[in-house]
Amino acid sequence: MIKLVNVSKKYNDLEVLEDFNISFKKNKITSLFGPSGVGKTTIANIVAGIIPIDKGSVEGINGSLISYVFQEPRLLKWYNVYDNIDFVLKDLYPPTERVKIIKRYLKMVGLSEYKNYKINQLSGGMEQRVSLARAFAYPSDILIMDEPFKGLDFKLKKEMISLFKSMWKNSNRTVIFITHQVDEAIELADTIFKLKNRPIDIINRINTNSNREEIKNLLLM
Amino acid sequence: MMNSIIRNKSKLLIVIFWILMWEILSLIINREIYLPSPHATFSALLALLAEKESYITIFYSTYRTLTGFLISCVFGIILGYICAINKFFYNLLYPLVGVIRTIPVMSIIIIAIFWFRDSNVPIFVAFLMCFPIIWTNTVTGIDSTDVKLLQMCGIYKISKVRVIKSVYFYSALPYIKAAMISALGIGWKVTSAAEVLSLPKYSIGGFLYDSKVYLEIPSLFAWTIIIVLLSFIFESLLKALFNLGENYD
Repeated sequence: MIKLVNVSKKYNDLEVLEDFNISFKKNKITSLFGPSGVGKTTIANIVAGIIPIDKGSVEGINGSLISYVFQEPRLLKWYNVYDNIDFVLKDLYPPTERVKIIKRYLKMVGLSEYKNYKINQLSGGMEQRVSLARAFAYPSDILIMDEPFKGLDFKLKKEMISLFKSMWKNSNRTVIFITHQVDEAIELADTIFKLKNRPIDIINRINTNSNREEIKNLLLM
Repeated sequence: MMNSIIRNKSKLLIVIFWILMWEILSLIINREIYLPSPHATFSALLALLAEKESYITIFYSTYRTLTGFLISCVFGIILGYICAINKFFYNLLYPLVGVIRTIPVMSIIIIAIFWFRDSNVPIFVAFLMCFPIIWTNTVTGIDSTDVKLLQMCGIYKISKVRVIKSVYFYSALPYIKAAMISALGIGWKVTSAAEVLSLPKYSIGGFLYDSKVYLEIPSLFAWTIIIVLLSFIFESLLKALFNLGENYD
């Protein structure tokens, strides 16, 4: 279990988190749901260690490897598709092992034929698929996904969601999934935390085992 | 293909236009000491190119320019990296670079004449004039590295050495390339100026000085054309080298 215990965080004088508590079940997908600007990314970034906290503690991440699918793909545009994935694996595996891993994940995201393409030769959807392949190829225990389907058209979004589901089934990890889209949260998450802002607080903790329409109503309420 | 022919034709017409302007102006002034005609200048140029000594002179001046330029690139890039990553070194070097940037070239040349052998003066001056351009652009390039990429490297626990090699280096590369092109042009100018004052053996600057002393103005113009052409050729070679690197990547 990953826990944020009594966490407080201020940006200058702005209090974003005040004695905030949340927990994420291991090997499950937990969604942070709420409107833009509510502070979902702040929570994820605290877990990722990008943002230091002022008070409280983060438990259950010691020694864990984390991978992150950002809103924008954050790829090295001077490298090709293959080298972008290789970049995060170089310090962890010998070359022969890396070749196998990269091949496997490029096949999963359907980009095997594009492995030598430079990033600026890819479409937005393809870039996001490289980012997904990179995140899964990395042997992380925790995967953070910050609105990874934002800006993708309906068909591509559906494709990406089913791609993510199949990849996750193959390698269970603890996933923190940030979204403000009701359908994405219901489709992917085991648990949904509905958040409100300033300071961030949990309005509702929803288990996705219940009726889909009911969950939808709770989220849109 | 057709577009390239039209483009080259229009370039040629522009050159012809300015040579014609030059001819007209020289006819109006009608005194070679102020402005020699294109005909007199190109005759002097052909005469220079017929002599073996001219090529030796061009070789040595090129050697001095490129040596000064390359030393400035090595120091500018390495120190630029160190200063961009470490604020202490940046604060230490910044005033020195600021002073170098504002000192008049002539002062540096005269000081260098006291410090170095004649043939090393132009190298030192070229280095000192090119260095601030390379250093500043390297620092700016590294500063412009996308913070989001650095965050990504932090999450994936990429080692510092690999972040420098794979992220900082490539982020700064367009800035360094632009600085090198600009510094090379300045390198030619200041090397010639330093040669005029330090008069090393076999130097274009030495010939410029002689032209002034003996009032051989067409020869002065001819050597100036040679400097412009050399600067243009080496700038084109540098750009071609960069393009080759990009394609190879």
